[in-house]
Amino acid sequence: MEKFQLKMKVNGRTVTVAVEPGLRLLDVLRDVLHLTGTKEGCGEGECGACSVILDGELVDSCLVLAPQAHGKEVVTIEGISREGELDALQRAFLTAGAVQCGYCTPGMILAAKALLSRNPNPGRQEIARGISGNLCRCTGYAKIVKAVELAAAELQQKEGAAGV
Amino acid sequence: MSETCVVGKSAPRVDGPAKVSGKSQYGADIDIPGALFLKVLRSKTPHGMVKRIDVAEALKIPGVVRVFTHADVPGENSYGIIVKDQPALTDQVRFRGDALALVAAETEEAAKQALEVIKVEIEELPPLYDVWSAMAEKAQAIHAKGNILTVSRVKKGDAAAALRTAAVVVSRRYTTQRVEHSYIETEAGVAYMDNGILVIKAGTQNPHYDRRDVSRVLGLPMHKVRIIQAATGGGFGGKLDISVQCFLGLAALKLGRPVRMVYDRRESIAATGKRHPFLVEYTSAADREGKLLAVKAKIIGDTGAYASYGPATLNRAAVHATGPYEVPNVDIEALCVYTNNPFSGAMRGFGTPQMAFAAESQMDLLAQELELTPLEIRRRNVLRPGSLTATGQRLDHSVGISATLEAAWEKAGRVMPGLGGEVK
Repeated sequence: MEKFQLKMKVNGRTVTVAVEPGLRLLDVLRDVLHLTGTKEGCGEGECGACSVILDGELVDSCLVLAPQAHGKEVVTIEGISREGELDALQRAFLTAGAVQCGYCTPGMILAAKALLSRNPNPGRQEIARGISGNLCRCTGYAKIVKAVELAAAELQQKEGAAGV
Repeated sequence: MSETCVVGKSAPRVDGPAKVSGKSQYGADIDIPGALFLKVLRSKTPHGMVKRIDVAEALKIPGVVRVFTHADVPGENSYGIIVKDQPALTDQVRFRGDALALVAAETEEAAKQALEVIKVEIEELPPLYDVWSAMAEKAQAIHAKGNILTVSRVKKGDAAAALRTAAVVVSRRYTTQRVEHSYIETEAGVAYMDNGILVIKAGTQNPHYDRRDVSRVLGLPMHKVRIIQAATGGGFGGKLDISVQCFLGLAALKLGRPVRMVYDRRESIAATGKRHPFLVEYTSAADREGKLLAVKAKIIGDTGAYASYGPATLNRAAVHATGPYEVPNVDIEALCVYTNNPFSGAMRGFGTPQMAFAAESQMDLLAQELELTPLEIRRRNVLRPGSLTATGQRLDHSVGISATLEAAWEKAGRVMPGLGGEVK
């Protein structure tokens, strides 16, 4: 089959790769670009381990065909930290003890990131809804919700300080 | 106090920063250039003898390097934590999901295509899907020594006599279901030869046991096998068993090339262990004041096609059958039984959650009979410092259940006012 010339922005960098058109965005990220922070859990959009942010929207990258990402901007877990410095959400996950086996963590952090970008001050229910597409089988949800609260508070404080 | 003392302090996880930044390498994340992809052909038949496996068509598919069957296993073709009863590649099918053939190919696609064209002839045997038919006198033996694998007993005092004279006796039958662990990471790993040493990197909870079983199955001395635990995305008991390890080892050893494999979710569910379904016949007896006098229980655990941690699970079930309560007369029998179901092994709690369901249901029923509240009957029976357990162990240190019970009740009253009739 003819290869598809996929051009997209990944974590701020433009990449152009020739891929089989039937490949999933998840496969391109993991197998072609070696960004293995994005995980596969179920391959059918149930678990959220493969969550990435596509043009600002949280998506399951196992349900997105590679050509559908053409011309778009993708953010993966590898693109969250800046210059080696962990993002507020990443730090909050560590502080709150929200990381256990860690396999759902990249997806969880991206789900939280997408949530905070549209709602900087979410309540518990809103956080729960924001991560409802992401399964944690270590059942660490309480600490994950706490981590999102911590990060939101820190970001709010910074914004407040910046406004002064 | 020394500054290095961490007791009582919150220490950050050593693997935390790598996990939140996506740098942790799980089994499927390990980059191993030139690795062949492995896929397993699994039985769709639950019970039978393998007569013939024809791999000729599979070998014609471009990219397919080799297809292994039971005939290619160089060592003892059996592994298992407690009982060595599970073959790496089998010539006797015991459940839908048993491994029949292992394909090594240049691509995952080629390996998948090969699975479609391998021809397997199986002489089918009647499947035994429940413990009763498996225990029936003339039942076909799933393993050479018969279908009842182990019987565990806990006896204390004279339960029969106590049952005859007790004021209240409650008998019920309880069943619990099979449960899949569903760790978000499916089984995955890589293997390669390093100066004559077989190296396997895989998600596991049991690297030392893995090493023993891989060396047994491959006929290698232990010092020629190295297991490196990759970051493991959840296990909950389910990654104590061998999954990909023997397949990876066999192919890397025989082909001298690096290999990798990843179970998809379907295979992960079909081929790996479960929580044991239990069948429990439970009789409890108490006096007028609600003090427990006796417990008699028969527990049957369906361990499926292979033992895995079954004998230990049923042993634990027997030991914990009376729950956190003091019972003077105890008669427990726990059977671990083979069937043609997916195999059952370790899963969080190891047989005790199943027994908690039965034992706590019994406490509620006794409370009803005696017109006591569920809380009160528990207060009168919980283990305390000085109590004797069902196995005769004296608990001479702290016992937390009484304080836990009161704290739970206090909290329940706060979050659900008017609960249970204790709050007037």
